[in-house]
Amino acid sequence: MKSIVLSGVVASLLFFSGCSDKSPAVDEMAQVPTQEVKAVETETVSSENSVVNATSEDIAVSDSSSSESVSNNTDSQLSMSDIESTLTTVYFDFDKFNIKPEMQSNISTDAKIVTSSASAYNIKLEGNCDEWGSDEYNFALGLKRADSVKKSLTAEGVDASRIVMVSYGESNPACNDKTQECWSKNRRVDFSLLP
Amino acid sequence: MSYATDSTIEVIKKVEALPSLSIEDSSVDYNDTFKLEFFKTLVADMNVISIFNVDRHYRLVKYEDTNVIVENKDVNYVLRYKMSEGDGSSLNISIKLFKAGEEVLAKNYKVNRQDIFMFVSHTIAYDINEFMGESSVEWMKRKVIFSRIVAPKKSEIVISDYTLSYQHAIIKGGFNVFPKWANKEQNSFYYTTLDTEKPTLKFVDIKTAQIQSVISSDGMIVCSDVSENADKLLLTMAIDGQPDIYIYDVNTKQYVRETKYKGIDVGAHFKDKDSIVFISDRLGSPNVFFKKIGKEEVDQMVYYGLNNSACSAHGQYIVYKARESSNVFSKNTFNLHLISTETDFIRRLTATGVNEFPKFSDDGDAILFIKNYKAQSSIGIIRLNHNKNYLFPLKYGKLQAMDW
Repeated sequence: MKSIVLSGVVASLLFFSGCSDKSPAVDEMAQVPTQEVKAVETETVSSENSVVNATSEDIAVSDSSSSESVSNNTDSQLSMSDIESTLTTVYFDFDKFNIKPEMQSNISTDAKIVTSSASAYNIKLEGNCDEWGSDEYNFALGLKRADSVKKSLTAEGVDASRIVMVSYGESNPACNDKTQECWSKNRRVDFSLLP
Repeated sequence: MSYATDSTIEVIKKVEALPSLSIEDSSVDYNDTFKLEFFKTLVADMNVISIFNVDRHYRLVKYEDTNVIVENKDVNYVLRYKMSEGDGSSLNISIKLFKAGEEVLAKNYKVNRQDIFMFVSHTIAYDINEFMGESSVEWMKRKVIFSRIVAPKKSEIVISDYTLSYQHAIIKGGFNVFPKWANKEQNSFYYTTLDTEKPTLKFVDIKTAQIQSVISSDGMIVCSDVSENADKLLLTMAIDGQPDIYIYDVNTKQYVRETKYKGIDVGAHFKDKDSIVFISDRLGSPNVFFKKIGKEEVDQMVYYGLNNSACSAHGQYIVYKARESSNVFSKNTFNLHLISTETDFIRRLTATGVNEFPKFSDDGDAILFIKNYKAQSSIGIIRLNHNKNYLFPLKYGKLQAMDW
C-alpha cells in the first residue's frame, strides 16, 4: 500500500496573512506592539511526518492488489508478467493521436494476445507524451492516444468493457535524453494487465 | 491591477526613476550564515515589490543609532532590521525604515520557528509596500502549492512560499498531480491521484488532515479552477475516454457537462461567474476559447500563436501559453502572452524556454508561472505593471503543476 504522509505544520503558516494588519506606527515607537504570528506548535494539526490513514477506498484498492499477489501462485504471476511483456507499445507522431499505418500491425498482434492468452485479464492502456508541456492539454493528448488504441482494439474484437485508460502526460518518460529519438519513445501507449 | 492603464502595453520604468534603498543589519544573535541568508531574502523581496532600486551591499550597524551609516547617507530609504532569539527558539525581528535619514516606520515581528524566516521577510516587504502606498502585493503572503515529479510515476505535493525557499512536502509517496487550492483561505486543496484504478480527484482538509475522494473518471480528471466562493469546480474529465469540461457543484455533488466536442477540451478557468475560458483543439490545434456557462456558443479568443495550450483569465485580461515553433526535430519554445479583450494588443511576457501554467494572482497584479529551461525548473513571477520578471529555481525534481 502506498503510504501517504501528510503533515499539517504548514497549516500554521495560514495565520501569517493576518500579521500585518496593524497600521504603521510612525511616531510612537515605544508603543508599537510586537506583531505576534500564531505559534506554530499550537496550530499544528498533526505532528510532522505523521502518517495519515488513506481513505477506505485507497485501502480497498491497495488491499485488492496485495491480496491478489498473495493468493496467486508464482506460476500465474509469472504468466501475467510474461503475457504483459509480449504486448507491444504503440508509438505516435509529434502532437498527434491518430494510429500510424506502421503501428497497425502492432495493434493487431496485441489484439490477438488480448483475446487469447490474456483473456483472463483486464487491460490498462497508459497514454504518454514527450516532455513538451506538462499541462492538461498534454494529459488529454496522452488520453486521446490511449483512446485511439482502445478503438482499434475494439475494432479487432476486444470487448471494450475490459479496457480502462489512464494518461500520465509527460510524467512517465521511457527515456530522459534531450534527443529526437528519445522524445519519440515517450509518445506512446503502453499496455498493462489488471487482475 | 490598475485598469487606468492597459497592461498589454509594456511599461518601461527607468531604473534611475526608482528611489534607492539600502538594507542595514543590526542582529546580534545568530551565526553569519543565517544572517546573510535573511539579508539576501529581504533584498530579493524588496526587489520583487519593484518600487526601489535596492543596494545589495551587506552592512552591519547598531540598531539604536539614530543616523544611517555614512555609506548610506545619500540613499533615499534605509531599511534597518534586528533579529534576536526569543523564548523557545522563536525569531524576533524589529525593523525601522528611514527616509532621508528620518525614521518613518517601525514594526516588530515574531515567529516561533527560525526556519520560516522567509515569511517574515515577505511580510516586511508587504508592509513597506503598503506604507509606500503602492498597489497591494497581497500575493506575496500567499502560499504556493505544487506537484513535483521525482521519478517516473512518482511525485510529491509541496506547499511553499512564493519564492520556494520554504518547502513542505504535504503528500509524499505515489503519483499525485494537479494540486489546486480549494478556497481563498488556503486551508484545503484538491489534487488528482493516478494510483487508483481510475484517476480520482481527492480533497484534503489541512487542519483535520483528512483526505476524501471527490469523483473519479476513466482516463483523466483534473480540477482546473475553483470558483470565487469555492462552491463550483471546473473539471476536465474523460468519462467516455473523451476529455471535456464539466462544472461540479461542491454542495450537491452533481456535475454538468459544459463541452461536447469530440476532440480535446481542457483547462477551463472562470472568467467571471457566468463564463469560462478554456483550451480546445476544435480548429485543428489547441487554442483559447470562451463560452457562457450553460450555452452552446463558443468564441475563439486568441488569434496569435501556433499552439496555445494553457490560459488564465482575470477581468479583461487573458494570459496564455503559445508554442513559438512547431518542430519535431528540435527544441521547442513556449512563451506566455497577454491579451486584453478590449484592445488588439498582444504583449509577450517571456522569451526563452518552456513557460507554462500561467496563473493570475487574485488581484491581477502578478502572474505566476512555471519555467523549464536547460533542465532547470523554476517558478516565475511577472509584475505586469512594473514590467519585471523574477525566477525562483526548484532545487530538485521537475515542477508538474502549481496553484497559488
